[in-house]
Amino acid sequence: MSDVFVGKIISISELNVSILVNDEKVKYHDILYAVNNGKRIEFEVAEEDGKVVSAIPFQSVVGLKKGIDVFKAPRGLEIQYSDEILGKVFDSYGNLIDDNKIENISTKNVYSRNVSLEEINLKGGILWTGIKVLDFFAPMQKGYKMGLLGGAGVGKTVLIKELINNVYKGLNSNSVFVGVGERSREGKELYDEMREANLLDKMAVVFGQMGENSAARSKAIFSGLTLAEYLRDEKEQDVLLFIDNIYRHVQAMSEINAELSRIPIENGYPANINTAISQVEERINSTEKGSITSFQAIYIPADDITDQAVQTITTHLDGQIVLDRKVAEKGLYPAVDVFSTQSKLIDIEKIGERHYQLVEEALRYYSRYQELEEIIAVLGIEELSISDTNVFYRTRKLRNYFTQPMFVAENYTGIAGEFVDIDDILDDVENILSGKYDDYDEINFLYIGKFNGR
Amino acid sequence: MSTFIENLVNTKLKNMKTMNNVYEVGYVSKVKDYILEVVGLESVGFYERVVIANHSVGYVTSIGKNSVMIAMLQRTNVIYVGDEVVTTDLDFCAMYSKSAMGHIVDIFGEDRLIGEKFENLIPYMIETPAIPIMERGEVKRPFYTGISGIDMIYPIGYGQRQLIIGDKKTGKTQIAMDTIINQKDHNVICIYIAINKTKKNIRELYDSLMKKGAMEYTLILAAFNDDEPPVSFFTPYAGLSIAEGYMREGNDVLVVIDDLKSHADIHREISLLAGKVPGRDAYPPDIFYTHSRLLEKGCQHKDGGSITILPIVETRGGDITDYISTNIISITDGQLVLSKKNFEKGLKPAIDYGLSVSRLGGAVQEPEMKKLGAVVRRNFLSYLETKEVYQFVNVDEMSQEMQHNLKEGQALQERLLQYKFSPRNPVEIKEHFMEVVGSQL
Repeated sequence: MSDVFVGKIISISELNVSILVNDEKVKYHDILYAVNNGKRIEFEVAEEDGKVVSAIPFQSVVGLKKGIDVFKAPRGLEIQYSDEILGKVFDSYGNLIDDNKIENISTKNVYSRNVSLEEINLKGGILWTGIKVLDFFAPMQKGYKMGLLGGAGVGKTVLIKELINNVYKGLNSNSVFVGVGERSREGKELYDEMREANLLDKMAVVFGQMGENSAARSKAIFSGLTLAEYLRDEKEQDVLLFIDNIYRHVQAMSEINAELSRIPIENGYPANINTAISQVEERINSTEKGSITSFQAIYIPADDITDQAVQTITTHLDGQIVLDRKVAEKGLYPAVDVFSTQSKLIDIEKIGERHYQLVEEALRYYSRYQELEEIIAVLGIEELSISDTNVFYRTRKLRNYFTQPMFVAENYTGIAGEFVDIDDILDDVENILSGKYDDYDEINFLYIGKFNGR
Repeated sequence: MSTFIENLVNTKLKNMKTMNNVYEVGYVSKVKDYILEVVGLESVGFYERVVIANHSVGYVTSIGKNSVMIAMLQRTNVIYVGDEVVTTDLDFCAMYSKSAMGHIVDIFGEDRLIGEKFENLIPYMIETPAIPIMERGEVKRPFYTGISGIDMIYPIGYGQRQLIIGDKKTGKTQIAMDTIINQKDHNVICIYIAINKTKKNIRELYDSLMKKGAMEYTLILAAFNDDEPPVSFFTPYAGLSIAEGYMREGNDVLVVIDDLKSHADIHREISLLAGKVPGRDAYPPDIFYTHSRLLEKGCQHKDGGSITILPIVETRGGDITDYISTNIISITDGQLVLSKKNFEKGLKPAIDYGLSVSRLGGAVQEPEMKKLGAVVRRNFLSYLETKEVYQFVNVDEMSQEMQHNLKEGQALQERLLQYKFSPRNPVEIKEHFMEVVGSQL
């Protein structure tokens, strides 16, 4: 099929090009292109108004002029859909960006798949991450969607890298990493580390990083999902999907929304924010053929957890790990806020009575500790009752215990990473809370694996 | 009808006489501060440079169905509705000459001290494409600022983007200046980008750097407060474009951007004036991308060169969690938070060690410094927290261990103090701190 002439450009702004079309049929998500000074610029149709089509350019429009001819590409946005995806790195539009080549090109449209209610499969075993605070307060199950929420610079990316390290290596299953609107440096580092560790052969990577325009950042996720669906539907596998960072997808949508001069809701988000997020999240599901287990980093803008985008994303999740600046400030990493961290697995029927009761007890200690901190600031420690003094010191130990040296942060902290078994975690927590470790100084609990009376 | 044709012929003739017929001519139909609406330009390119009424310069910001919008870059005279706008067939570019090194320049290639343009000006694209992910190398070579609190605890590597953030008068620019001065004899090209600084500020900066012999390898790229806002907006992009040129020749470049909060405010002003939809705090929704594409230019290139960026952000009331600050924190590879309280107590540099972060940390330190830094950081942070919680406890009643920790913490604090323009080299830093924690390594 040869490319057809569809019309001419009539207006241009940075992220929105209007095209006056002839009688050719053009529809939403069609790819159009124009050639300006020998450079090919592609657009994706975003809006139609009679004979005028608004399209989002994928490349820079500097130098573009009115009246230039526009053609329609034979197919919409597509990505490779075969075993060839493993070990490869793609950009948002499905093009390879590493030095690899794909021999047998067989592609699929990135918007094509939806999961029906009938297909959905809820079964799955518990997936231990080896990270104490996560396994204790927010355990993960195969097929779950876990959110990693945090403001700027509290450790989301380190945590997601640690999860890749612990879960991907441990599970030995295929996985997809989607980098959306994050640092290119970190993307490259992840790629290099995976390659050096010979782990890349089971992973497919898509990058639409923060230096690229909003079109690239808003498409990366769809390309990534299509790769994950290939592994689930065609290879019938349990797939791990890492998304860093899904908030950036919404952010890119806001930018496009503004350029299309659509009326936004609070904080400039698009009015269709719900629909936009559902289009992504509803595709991340497990079927009889295979499961998709996802870890999604979610950026919290301006440290405001009530933000519309953050809240809309978290309604889709099965659990969330919230990272808090106040904890990070004290040098306690992972900087988890235990009160807002949760998982659907925290249920007697799912994790058993012992684990459940210990979580309840630990939270009781934490919340009393918070109150005590205020009292101590005024009165001093001596004025506390014996039981409160115990709560105070034991919670401080617990808080220190839930820090952990990470494999991926070895270079930074100089301490070797540790993977901790859930049984050891439960024993240690029980012993701290029961007072068995009262004689140990709190500093002994900082940045260790299991305590085990060392 | 006949007058219409007559007018048409006359205009054409007039255009031919002024040689304007080579290029297209349009007319100003609306003036809104520094944004103009122009009708009659049919084949002008997006971002094309245009000349208004033979005296002022602007560029095309958007092309509409019946008109184009122009943002002013240089205005030397009053602009009236009906003034002629001539296209140039050239993309709007920054002009720069390598002989400008050591001077204060603007994006048009003018020496701002004497008001003359440099010779051999070369056009630099304002916005170059993102540096591809696969062209990036690992950030691992230590970049020394000469400040022990940074080089040891929150280190910087070549190609890193480290934010300097704090209230007014907490020493942000001073840290940048100290860093520039410490690059003497290290073969680093320094570019200081001034946005929204007063002329007096820039003069002072220039004089200080001159006195310390640092201007030999430093370029000050300045937009003044009274320049057209689009110029201030473009100055950091032009600066990074120049830096990229040097990097691609294999050089190490240090770029200081002072400051990005002002830059965000300028972007907001321009966007709102152009009628764009506002988002959070009335900033346009693309405010994140505005800064992310700029700061993503910072990198260690796989072929050798690098761009290290120290952007500066001014906060209010010590709040680093406002929209712009968190946006930029989420782009950079770490932040150096400066605290007003510490500054007032005389603890200079006024680094808030609890809130500061280097995401690269030990990866950009040589092994000995890394070991030392890890211990000092851990002990010092634990000291700061303990000091706060146990401030009501009688020191004599504390455990031996805790008393020792407090004493050690105090010793570390004293050693972290450093007066301006007194850089320490890595060897000095190591000796200085080994005395305190050497036994724990």
